[in-house]
Amino acid sequence: MGHSTSHTTEAPLVTGNLSFHELTELVARHAEKKPPMIWYVAIGISSLMLLNLLVMIAYQVWNGVGVWGNNVPVGWGWPIVDFVFWVGIGHAGTLISAILFLFRQRWRTSINRAAEAMTIFAVICALLFPTIHVGRIWVIYWTLPIPNQMDMWPQFKSPLLWDVFAVSSYFIVSLIFWYVGLIPDLATLRDRARSFIRQRVLGIFSMGWTGSNRHWRNYEKAYLLLAGLATPLVLSVHSVVSFDFAVSIVPGWHTTIFPPYFVAGAIFSGFAMVVTLMVIARKVYGIEDLITLNHLEKMNIIILLTGSMVGFAYITELFIAWYSQVGYEQYAFINRVTGPYAWAYWIMMSCNLIAPQVFWFKRLRRNVPLMFIISILVNIGMWFERFVITVISLHRDYLPSSWGYFTPTWVDVMTFVGSFGLFLTLFLLFLRFVPMVALAEVKGVVPQADPHFYDRESS
Amino acid sequence: MATLKKSHITQYLLDPFASTAADAPDAFRYKGDWRIWGIPLLVGAIGLTSGLSGWLTDPHQFYFSYLTGWVFCLTIALGALYFVLIQHLTRARWSIVVRRMAEALLWTFPLLAVLGIPVLFGLHDLYHWTHADAVATDPILAGKTPYLNVPFFLVRLAVYFLVWSLLAYLLYRNSLAQDCTGDEDIPARQRKVSAWGLAVAALTTAFASYDLLMSLDPHWFSTIFGVYVFAGAFMSIHALLALCAMILQSMGNLRGIVTTEHYQDLGKLTFGFVVFWTYIAFSQYMLIWYGNIPEETLWYRHRLGHGWEVHSAVLLIGHFIVPFFLLLSRAVKRSRLLLGLICVWLLAMQWFDIHWLAAPVLHPDAATIHFLDVANWVGLFGIVLGVFMYRLVRHSLVPCRSPWLENSLHFENT
Repeated sequence: MGHSTSHTTEAPLVTGNLSFHELTELVARHAEKKPPMIWYVAIGISSLMLLNLLVMIAYQVWNGVGVWGNNVPVGWGWPIVDFVFWVGIGHAGTLISAILFLFRQRWRTSINRAAEAMTIFAVICALLFPTIHVGRIWVIYWTLPIPNQMDMWPQFKSPLLWDVFAVSSYFIVSLIFWYVGLIPDLATLRDRARSFIRQRVLGIFSMGWTGSNRHWRNYEKAYLLLAGLATPLVLSVHSVVSFDFAVSIVPGWHTTIFPPYFVAGAIFSGFAMVVTLMVIARKVYGIEDLITLNHLEKMNIIILLTGSMVGFAYITELFIAWYSQVGYEQYAFINRVTGPYAWAYWIMMSCNLIAPQVFWFKRLRRNVPLMFIISILVNIGMWFERFVITVISLHRDYLPSSWGYFTPTWVDVMTFVGSFGLFLTLFLLFLRFVPMVALAEVKGVVPQADPHFYDRESS
Repeated sequence: MATLKKSHITQYLLDPFASTAADAPDAFRYKGDWRIWGIPLLVGAIGLTSGLSGWLTDPHQFYFSYLTGWVFCLTIALGALYFVLIQHLTRARWSIVVRRMAEALLWTFPLLAVLGIPVLFGLHDLYHWTHADAVATDPILAGKTPYLNVPFFLVRLAVYFLVWSLLAYLLYRNSLAQDCTGDEDIPARQRKVSAWGLAVAALTTAFASYDLLMSLDPHWFSTIFGVYVFAGAFMSIHALLALCAMILQSMGNLRGIVTTEHYQDLGKLTFGFVVFWTYIAFSQYMLIWYGNIPEETLWYRHRLGHGWEVHSAVLLIGHFIVPFFLLLSRAVKRSRLLLGLICVWLLAMQWFDIHWLAAPVLHPDAATIHFLDVANWVGLFGIVLGVFMYRLVRHSLVPCRSPWLENSLHFENT
């Protein structure tokens, strides 16, 4: 049984045999020293994109929503597609932090911090779109149940109102979850800080954390409870987003599989975005020892799993559309596959269902350039999935006299590009000022964390 | 070194492999007599005999009752299949001491194929789409004929059972072979089977649910239906594993091997899938209620009138609210008595759920739970349990040479 060790000992989660101090150095110095040149270049580009977003919003609010390509059959165009896209991206963060935590998957520790940050920034981008896609943005507070002089209340039967509650509470809980996880790490930065101002600022944000036994006990309990609360929340948020479509009677929208299928798609696209960002970040910041190939491989397995779930839902929808023998339902799907937007449907199919299937092969799962390409493809595919659901279902439904065609305008495109600017700017600021890896948690999973580690060394 | 031998051909349906219990370490050997499998078999035989008597008196009712009991057993076996597949794919270590029970359940599929024969005789009573005269006057049913026709239906059922039995055989054989040889490559082999197995299981489960349950009301359709059936099945298996461990322990087996920590984890997963089932059930109901399109809504109208609304309410309270609040607490999950009671209750609810799907098709005008319903359920479940226990005690009660067994024995919830 000479080779038995390879079967019974797992590959270490953190390679390079780093001591606790080396770990701290590796992560914390990026939040302390001047960033590399490439960071300045990136933030320059993303700030320009962000500026472009602000200009587009101002232009659209001033001139009206008619500057977009939406028309009367297709009242929901790119803004809603972008909204669902960004909400979906956000879901992987909560999955990595909360659900994998509940399942005791210790490999999450290296990636959860960045994934949670990504969640928060993606949700900010998402919240933007329902806000600006209304015709009169200045009365958007009417969606809130506030006692007022008109005795008017919002309609609680509308899933668009549920969205307001779901996405805003999702944002708040994600923020609290992320911040609670940050406190011990901010205290580490505080203790390393050299300048007076930096010490004071980090001292305020780390809330007097000293890492005492009692602190840690309460902290672990709070973290577990937050994870337990965030898990049903994350499933319900994207289900509520799916209700926006599924409660309607539009063929292609009204289908019961939407809630779990949207959630699976969200995890799918979110993980793809995590892979996209982490492949770059681990290279640029030299943290390959923390985010190892094994981490990326596990994420690719989840991408394969959720991608297959989404594919399963596509097949189910096609089959049931035929099985239902409802003419409108059948036509909705014939139109997707062969209609004027067939190209969008086939982009979606090939990017979401076919592309991730390469991850069946271990060699391809561990191939960094390939997984980077696949993760980009998945995000393109998932954007098109929302486009297919939203636009193709709307542009041809019950009455042929109301059939139309949707063409986006330059404002649609620039607003979407701008939302990437917002996302990337926030993400780059996060990389610059906050430890991008959960230090306190990673220290718990390295071999040195075992109380008997040094006994084994000496014997 | 022992090797795994095939059992005698006469026994194949009960257990395809010769007994290996003699080679198992003492701690994992079954200590007890025939009663653990004899009593369920006896109860099952009595139940099934009285159930089959209904075939003479009220064949229509009998077929529906029998189908309900049979599909209940099928969901238990499918739950076991998913459980084993997922433990392998996630390389789970906590669950190793309870995994053998799920593995012993796997070989239920061939037995269920045999027990499914009465259903084939009742196709005409069960499925409206088998009536040529009804199809001729109904354009919707006529449109579905390419899928809903008896020859193709039988071919599909045969394919499902072949696929499930093949997966069951591979997973069961590899695990028992590991007991004998301690082969180091088995976990990797099991993962390979599980990878394609999970994809195939998902597809077959969904289509089997459309065929066996959804097509009872051939006008109705719902894309989420396969997920709904999976959710109930997966919830039930965790409850059943906890119960089996308790029964074995009460007879003096697995003492100190399955611990409170494992029960807490099984309780957590049961809780999780109680919530998941509710999420799916509510999504399906809410979306159909909200859209209120006649061809979909009728299915729920049948279940919200003529006394069926009471059944729907029981399902809501008994399948969700009560277990949800009871299983929230850590103390309940760690108490064998309370967890055991909830698990029994949830298995009853799983049957009630399938009954709620099927029976209103037969009795749209009056809600009933017929004597035959209970007799066939107890009969079939008793037979399945008895044969399962017989298989279980012929081998080591846990995968005794799994490389990760030590982790599972000393597992603690953090």
